[in-house]
Amino acid sequence: MDKQLELLQGTLDMLILKAVSLGPLHGYGILLRIQQVSKDRLEIQQGSLYPALYRLEHQGWITSEWGESENNRKAKYYRLTATGRRRLQTETEQWNRMAEVIAGILKTTPGEL
Amino acid sequence: MTIRARIRSWLFAVLQRSRAERDMDAELKFHIEAYAEDLERSGVKQEEALRHAHIEFGSVERMKEECREARGVSLLQSLLQDLRLAVRVLRKSAGFTVVAVITLALGIGANAAIFSVVDAILLRPLPYPQPAQLVRLWEDAPSLGYFRNVVNPYNFMDWRDNAKSFQSMAAITGQMTNLSAQGQPIALPGMQVSPEFFSVLEVPPFLGSTFTSDEGVAGHDQVVILSYGLWQSQFGGNAAIVGQKVDVDGVPHTVIGVMPRGFSFPKMKAEVWTPLPLARTDDWKDGRYLTVVARLKPGVTLEQARQDMLRVGNLTAEARPENNKGWGGEVLPMLEDATLDVRRPLWVLLACVGFLLLIACSNVANLLLMRGAGRLREMAVRSALGAGRVRLIQQLLVESLLLALAGMAAGLIVAQFGLHSLLALIPQNAPLPRSEPITINGSVLMFSFFAALLTAILFGLVPALRLSRFDLQDALKQGSSRGGVGGHQALRRCFVVVEVALALLLSVGAGLMLRSFSRLVAVDPGFRTDHLLTMHIWTSPSHYSDDHKRSAYFERMLTEIRNSPGVRAAGSTHFLPLTDSISGSCFAPGDGPPPTPSESPSSQYLVTSPGYFSAMGIPLLKGRDFEARDNFDAPPVAIVNHAFVERYFPGQNVVGKQLWVCWSFKKTVEIVGVAAEARQAGLQDAPEPTIFLSNSQAPMYFATIVVRAEGDPREIIRSAEEAIHRVDPDQAVSDVRSMEDVVSDSVSSQRFEAVLLGVFAAMAIALAIIGIYGVVSYSVSQRTNEIGIRMAMGARSPDIARMVVRETLTLAGIALLVGFGSSVALSRVLESLLFEIRPTDAVTLVSAGCVIVAVSVMASVLPARRAAKVDPMMALRYE
Repeated sequence: MDKQLELLQGTLDMLILKAVSLGPLHGYGILLRIQQVSKDRLEIQQGSLYPALYRLEHQGWITSEWGESENNRKAKYYRLTATGRRRLQTETEQWNRMAEVIAGILKTTPGEL
Repeated sequence: MTIRARIRSWLFAVLQRSRAERDMDAELKFHIEAYAEDLERSGVKQEEALRHAHIEFGSVERMKEECREARGVSLLQSLLQDLRLAVRVLRKSAGFTVVAVITLALGIGANAAIFSVVDAILLRPLPYPQPAQLVRLWEDAPSLGYFRNVVNPYNFMDWRDNAKSFQSMAAITGQMTNLSAQGQPIALPGMQVSPEFFSVLEVPPFLGSTFTSDEGVAGHDQVVILSYGLWQSQFGGNAAIVGQKVDVDGVPHTVIGVMPRGFSFPKMKAEVWTPLPLARTDDWKDGRYLTVVARLKPGVTLEQARQDMLRVGNLTAEARPENNKGWGGEVLPMLEDATLDVRRPLWVLLACVGFLLLIACSNVANLLLMRGAGRLREMAVRSALGAGRVRLIQQLLVESLLLALAGMAAGLIVAQFGLHSLLALIPQNAPLPRSEPITINGSVLMFSFFAALLTAILFGLVPALRLSRFDLQDALKQGSSRGGVGGHQALRRCFVVVEVALALLLSVGAGLMLRSFSRLVAVDPGFRTDHLLTMHIWTSPSHYSDDHKRSAYFERMLTEIRNSPGVRAAGSTHFLPLTDSISGSCFAPGDGPPPTPSESPSSQYLVTSPGYFSAMGIPLLKGRDFEARDNFDAPPVAIVNHAFVERYFPGQNVVGKQLWVCWSFKKTVEIVGVAAEARQAGLQDAPEPTIFLSNSQAPMYFATIVVRAEGDPREIIRSAEEAIHRVDPDQAVSDVRSMEDVVSDSVSSQRFEAVLLGVFAAMAIALAIIGIYGVVSYSVSQRTNEIGIRMAMGARSPDIARMVVRETLTLAGIALLVGFGSSVALSRVLESLLFEIRPTDAVTLVSAGCVIVAVSVMASVLPARRAAKVDPMMALRYE
């Protein structure tokens, strides 16, 4: 396993939106989904997930309802809203553009200047 | 819609708080348990797994707090929580709370009291519809040094007919009126007004009607309007009064209306209004004596009105140059005009109480810092349990706010009492700029509330910022009360320096006003104020319109008074000294051409009776007084004062010289005497050149009689009034006062300012003492250990005491520098309020400085003695 990376400032919201865009999930499920997709290469402080979830819900990007978990327990499930979907789209585009630019800069060699 | 989502989530969180909390608990619990189950599945033991899950999750309380914040509920809820906590904390430290609340109550109370005066007089609009349209019109002649001069009747009529900026314009003369309703004569303040007066002010009558333009024509003017108060007191509030006849100055007038309760005109008292029958006849040609009020047309600006008056002023100057050359019209907003004299003193007083509040604030801030040192552990524990810095600051500010509001509540009680004693300083018959009652009303409450809010931030913010910043590890490790707050000592000293400097500033202000006041009352008015009775007489024109008859009437009245028991001397003058009343007349030497108002020099004049100078105790320097032989058949005579001789005939013997005097005569008058100077308008006004004319040759309709008594002047009031009624039983007498009261009333506004500033300075000093004492004694208790070591090393008690006092004096020294600097910069605004004292008066500055130093030493004596008594053994063990 590679060494775990610390989450970049401000990216947790985006990852949460992406995680719930694939289908409704409870908080713990979101954590597992992110770790699974990232192949355990990201380190997420478990507790910090919830303030982020509450903030996203407060902004109307996700919505929640109580449901049954896999092991028949009551759990709160989060779902992406329409505005959340648009938000995720713009954030993704921005991120990609940014990553491209940064990568471009970092790849520059002395000869290219 | 995101806004809707936010509101929904916020409402859910606020309204269904317990459900939201339950949901949150359940959700976090589910997470931790699910994780623990996963751990178990990977082979960790059950109890180990749950513990591990908790650790990995982090602080649940902290996450919950952050979740609440994320939902935006926490502000309201945490405020309520903080409020409950604050009440508990403040109740627990009752001593601190009481001192802080009293300090704030004094500060806020003084502000509320002064603000209620400022509000009632300066800020509240005048009690008429569209008050901003109301203006006062004056004549002015800048080149001759006349500003805001009352108006000539012809000029008023020209303005009224030609100016385009005004909807309406009215002229007023104020005078005493003799009213006899049920046989008993009463003298009442009245106003003669041109018929437009009530429509300018747009105030309808309570009963009946106001004047029509017909009633402003001579012959149709026997109508009268009564004030509500007069209608109630003299006519029993009977509505049938309208249409009835009432004797006004001996002539039956028909009552046509009653004005509503509280109707008044700034600076002029009136109980009755009669029409002023202005006309373009010779009667109205001369003199300037009308008060003019006008209402601007809608949309016309002050500047446009001024331009308009400039144009109209030129018309009048061209039409009657002998009267009007150099004169023009002046426009002032009515409220500004009415409050011109009191504006600066009131703002100064408000600034002073503002400083007082600042002192109170720094005192309370100091108390908070000192108490905060003992609360460090509490802060640390709350922080460890998940409270962020913002949250700690919020809680400390809520405490401050609660203190400030308690201070405000107590302050309003202080204000109520303060206002009562403050208003008692104003003499009963003082012509206030506004007649509306001065009370603690809604706007004063609003002001106090905002003052409290501001104070809470002022005294609460710095301590809150300071106290919330600490090293958690250190704070938790340390004992409950000490350490970790060394830096606050510097901050506390800062506060003390600020408040001592402000106290110095107020002391300098108070010192200047008190010294100025004592100079003022020490002025020799030029006459003897003791054993002197003054009473005002207004003769009814209907009975005494004949000059001979009127002058004979006054002579008989004075003779009767002189023959009454207990009377040494009596005389009369048309304007009593020290009542802010002067009259002016142009004059010219008798050997030249007759004078004109625009070309000739002007002098004050007084119409006095024979015996006036001796009754007043004003020495005659040369020549003689008026005598019985100076009657209508004899050549007219005049007396001039010493200042007149000095200014216009220096070094000459004026007795026997002839003068032209515009006011009265068609021929010249002979100067028969020279009187010593006496103050006329007020104690602060140096005597001006004055011409005295004899009441037997130029009788006025009104006079103030001065009676020199053998004993207490109040004891001869009855006999003097009886003497007057023996001559004419219908003659009303008003304004009966001893000359000493007249003098005292004449300086009432200066006394008002000096006393108030003195009180504020005393309060400031008291608060500063508390502040110094607090800081020094706290510093001593903090340094017990150091003092113990010093003593162990050989320092003796006096050395230690000196050290403490020296430390205080250093603070006081810095404060003196700051305070003197700012008082030199600020006391300039006092300049126009001071009499014969410069704002940089050395005596005041030095004595205020000495007071501050003495007070500082005094405040540090107790802590110094305590420091000197420290037992080195005890002190060293103390740590």
